[in-house]
Amino acid sequence: MNSEVRSFLEKHDLLGCVQCGRCTGGCPVTARTDLNVRRVIYESIDEKMLDKMSKLPDIWDCTTCSTCAVRCPKGLKPLEVLIGLREVLVESGMVQSTVRDALESVFQEGNPWKKPRATRLDWAEGLEVKIAEPGEKVENLIFVCCTVAYDPKLQDIARNLVKVLNKAGVDYGLVGDGETCCSSEVYNLGEAGLFEMMVEDNTELLKGFAADRMVTISPHCYSTFKNQYPLLKMEIVHYTHLISELLAEGKLALPKEVSKKVVFHDPCYLGKKNNVFEEPRFILKQVPGVEVLEFERKKERSLCCEGGGGKMWVETESRKERLAETRIKDARALGADVLAVACPFCILTLDDALKAKGFEEEMKVADILEILHEAAG
Amino acid sequence: MKMFVCIKRVPDTSEADVKIDQTGKSVDSSRFSFGINDADNYAVEEAVLIKEARGGEIKFLCIGPKDSDVVIRMSLAKGGESAVRIEDPRINQKDPLQVAKVLAAAIKREQFDLVMTGCMSADDSNMSVGVALAEELGVSHAAMVKSVEILDGKIKVKRELEGGLTEVVEMSLPAVITIQTGINVPRYAPVRGIREAQKKELKVLKLEDLGLAEEEVSEAGSRVELMKLYIPVVASNAEMIQGTPDEKAEIMAVKMVKGGLL
Amino acid sequence: MGDIFVLAEHRRGELREVSLEMLAAASSVAPQLGGKITAILLGSGVNSFAEKLAGYSDKVLYVDDPLFAEYNSEKYQLALSDLISRYQPELVMVPHTTQGVDMAPALAVELKMPFVADVAGLSFEGGKLQPVRTYYQGKINADFAFKGKPPYLITVRESSFSAGDPSKQGTVEKIASPLKEDIQYRKFVEYIEAVVGDVDISQAEILVAIGRGLREEKNLSMIEDLAKSINAVIAGSRAAIDAGWLPHDRQVGTSGKNVKPKVYIAIGISGAFQHLAGMKAAKTIIAINKDPNAPIFTVADYAIVDDLFKVVPKLTEKLKELRA
Repeated sequence: MNSEVRSFLEKHDLLGCVQCGRCTGGCPVTARTDLNVRRVIYESIDEKMLDKMSKLPDIWDCTTCSTCAVRCPKGLKPLEVLIGLREVLVESGMVQSTVRDALESVFQEGNPWKKPRATRLDWAEGLEVKIAEPGEKVENLIFVCCTVAYDPKLQDIARNLVKVLNKAGVDYGLVGDGETCCSSEVYNLGEAGLFEMMVEDNTELLKGFAADRMVTISPHCYSTFKNQYPLLKMEIVHYTHLISELLAEGKLALPKEVSKKVVFHDPCYLGKKNNVFEEPRFILKQVPGVEVLEFERKKERSLCCEGGGGKMWVETESRKERLAETRIKDARALGADVLAVACPFCILTLDDALKAKGFEEEMKVADILEILHEAAG
Repeated sequence: MKMFVCIKRVPDTSEADVKIDQTGKSVDSSRFSFGINDADNYAVEEAVLIKEARGGEIKFLCIGPKDSDVVIRMSLAKGGESAVRIEDPRINQKDPLQVAKVLAAAIKREQFDLVMTGCMSADDSNMSVGVALAEELGVSHAAMVKSVEILDGKIKVKRELEGGLTEVVEMSLPAVITIQTGINVPRYAPVRGIREAQKKELKVLKLEDLGLAEEEVSEAGSRVELMKLYIPVVASNAEMIQGTPDEKAEIMAVKMVKGGLL
Repeated sequence: MGDIFVLAEHRRGELREVSLEMLAAASSVAPQLGGKITAILLGSGVNSFAEKLAGYSDKVLYVDDPLFAEYNSEKYQLALSDLISRYQPELVMVPHTTQGVDMAPALAVELKMPFVADVAGLSFEGGKLQPVRTYYQGKINADFAFKGKPPYLITVRESSFSAGDPSKQGTVEKIASPLKEDIQYRKFVEYIEAVVGDVDISQAEILVAIGRGLREEKNLSMIEDLAKSINAVIAGSRAAIDAGWLPHDRQVGTSGKNVKPKVYIAIGISGAFQHLAGMKAAKTIIAINKDPNAPIFTVADYAIVDDLFKVVPKLTEKLKELRA
């Protein structure tokens, strides 16, 4: 047994698995695909199987939602085994072209969307924004996220945040055009080498700012900076933390009524992975006119939207109903006017599902910031 | 099988606004993203596949500034022994014949069996460098190759022609082929591999190292002159459909159904 | 002096349209250059082509030799090099096709000819010929001038000039083949036809064509909905096929298929010239693209400059409604 394989087994504590199957039983994507995490763990114990396992299309079905980790009685992280197998494939170079392109784009342009680094701040054009200067003191350093910065469908999230912060007179500064992918998805796609490199580079870059803390828009950036950047000694919060504070301290007035029934969808990377459940709900409750509804599957049991875990670049072949569509149907059944989220990936998947289901007239998917911006007037 | 693969770092302008700079003879590239030229990337992969199947040696050649090192290292990580980057501001990169002359000077100094280039660069798209290079080297060539089969002292290639037709051509080696996109699936170069590839030789050469005189490859020495660049007037006779996205969709749908287009 | 050579292109018993396009281009500049137009034809059993070319040129020089039955870059280069050296024309036009690009650059190197590739237009500045070509997939035009001595060589982009009607009665001269025996290095082996799949896009009445702008395979379902609503067949640009979204036999363009549907809806296709060449014969072209400068709009009849993800679903919905 060579040391590398031994470390795979040790790293994931595969022998600690009692094969109880709670991971697979709770895995949301089993509703759509043949992924069987328990079996993958069992078969990965055999070092000789790793190469073959890495070529299984199933390992790309995982959305890294962490339900399996939450449910494991032994405290294992079955999803990490799947990421580890992806790593084996990435190291061979034989990943599908969409994954290749996304990873190359992060390596060369600092974002997975094949967009030029130089256009990262284009979303802010015509807007009054503060850019943080390295070394200059700033309370809240804002990390926008590649997907929010480049996807025209999502840029309003960043614009709304900036407008709200301006209105509340918050001391903030954007990381700016030097902002580079947090690499959450790089990690999930199994590119460990690139992830290490990005962590190093980003740590260096972000340390240069004299910031009390960093506020992220995406839960994916939040979770990654918080949990996977050991040398970044900076407090990391999600924007829902910051906004909750502002509301609690009375610094942000919400004069306009928003008479809507709103149901909140817990993003996996905010909820299951980091136990942030209350802040988004607190914010919604402060909005005059909003009636907050709850899904039956909420908080740590929230149903994954299938947006994370690299799924932006890997299509599951299953033609069964997408989980996001299930979620949309559930929201509709609750009579919600708005399905509120606090994650760019959730917006993309849920909004697609809304259109696929044809519910655009009755309902909409919106980031909390959109509702907040409306209420702030 | 000793192979040379010529690669180039180019901007991706498929979605970009291209603006001409003050010189009027080049474009403002400050807002572009860059990467290896698409067709060259397929050439790199094809060389690596040939090497994996039959053994051999691959050397990458690139004309360009230090920024190009990243695409060279990525290519080396996929499989290649060494690389040469020719950096010399005197080289007129707008003239494909002069580019071919520079590449030929670098290749001629060594023994080789097969030289590959992409069939077209995404920025200049002359589709000329590879074929001119073959003439400079005095060897056979085939352009727009979609399949390669190495035979004994020969090479059999499929050229992709117009209308979905394929032409099969056989040539003696050494030869130059220009690779068409889609011939294979270029692999990913993992960063650990790229770091590993830092150890491989990457020589940086100038005209003098290649025994070339400035006037052979400089703008002044070119037999053509770029007079000016300009944004073409899009001579569109198209009827512009106006309105919000929804309104545009509705107007178009009405024209299609009631206007008898369908 | 001032003569223009035009290399005619033919394949498998067909004189290709680009030959007549180049002769039209030659006719447009011949008065300024003050010379005659000579069509060069290399082939075997090509008398009828020579006769046809005579209607568009002052002279046809042709080689009729079984050794020239199929295009071969090395034979073509040899023959042209010989003719150019002998007749010293001012300008030589070669099609920028899979034949032309496979031969012309080598010829330029051999004869040290001033050379501009992929010429899409010809203009005159101060009495001197200036070939026009494009950069960055048609986003930038460039005017070139020849500096050295003629003969000058250009490759001419397909479909950038319109073929005229026959208006000349040129002389037809059969010349001796420059080959005594077959060459040794490069050999033509055979042609292979594309395998025709279940759908033949070249026969389709209505095509919905997609390009890189669609971004991801999963967005294909939106296109399928649109296609279904109007009984259209889905085709794609090279980018869409390279990305694996569609099988190869759905590719429109010079390396795919030429199509002539009644309606062609180009979605997220910027319009590389290889693509435009394959579809501009469509009766009605509708283009949806967010870039107002996309070359696709140069051939479109209806232009929708907007985000396709916003327009297409709505378009489908309206079409369904109207056709219900």
